[in-house]
Amino acid sequence: MSYVDAGYSIGLGVLFLYAVGLFLRRRSLERAVELSPPPGPLDGPTETGSASGP
Amino acid sequence: MSAPAETVTVVRRPRWLRVVGVLALVSTAATVWLGLWVTPPDAVQHDLVRLVYLHPPIAWVALYLAFGLSALASLLYLWRRTRSMFWDRLAAASVEVGVVFNALTLATGMIWGRPTWGVWWTWDARLTSTALLLVLFLGYLALRRVPADPEVRARRCAVAALIAFVDVPIVHFSVIWWQTLHQGATVLNANLSPTIHGSMAWTLLLGFIALTLVFVWMVGVRYQIEVLADRTGAERLEVSLAERWAEGDLDTPAAGGNGHGIGTTGSPVRPPTRVGQ
Repeated sequence: MSYVDAGYSIGLGVLFLYAVGLFLRRRSLERAVELSPPPGPLDGPTETGSASGP
Repeated sequence: MSAPAETVTVVRRPRWLRVVGVLALVSTAATVWLGLWVTPPDAVQHDLVRLVYLHPPIAWVALYLAFGLSALASLLYLWRRTRSMFWDRLAAASVEVGVVFNALTLATGMIWGRPTWGVWWTWDARLTSTALLLVLFLGYLALRRVPADPEVRARRCAVAALIAFVDVPIVHFSVIWWQTLHQGATVLNANLSPTIHGSMAWTLLLGFIALTLVFVWMVGVRYQIEVLADRTGAERLEVSLAERWAEGDLDTPAAGGNGHGIGTTGSPVRPPTRVGQ
């Protein structure tokens, strides 16, 4: 392998791997946000008054 | 209780980012094709000149775009009038991408330097200041991982980014200020007259455009990750608090909060006071 081949392989290879990593990180976080429960249940204790005094 | 189908949050990806991604891919492929197969070998450097279509554009992104943007965003965060978590997230995204490009600047430079200078590394002013830049911005990334209130972390990191950025002009002018092994600027030289011509110049220009587009796409995606991570972090806290409220361990949300355990700035507030048995 020549120095030119090595330079292009390392330069573009690392950028490609980093881009894939970014893509996967974003997708997993998007799924986590989509599957997370809504803030509604948090109002539960207040509505029922089960956990707080007057 | 509402049905699960109604609770799904839709996360949108901006269309412009997809367009930039496609353009980045096409222009990078074109640069590689022109650089490896179309342009002629150099009279002095022979085929090694092909690394020039890659190394300076990578360095341009790291030094001027990524770290320049992070310094600008940090400055805008520190300025009271423009203070917003947007600038903090943008700076963080830009630094992470910049660190990758900075490491590649050193790697591709070493690969070019070995057959040209006969050594992989030398403590030349340009090389040393570029390596120092990498260490400084790695320190920035480490600082972001130190647990702290989001606003305190943002302020600390903004100051760190501005301190680290001081090294950028040193890197740029190092080839002028000191006698170095590294060659002077080919395009951004003192006379602003590029010393490269013809298909070589056009390929180099395309390389700059391609890597700039790659940078924009990466910062865009990395920024989205920062937003999503903040949201999921806040939501984890909400779920945890909700579970404890449901168990009766905690009082209702403290007065002044928004009832979701999140302050008005988006930062977690102190958990409500524990009630007596």
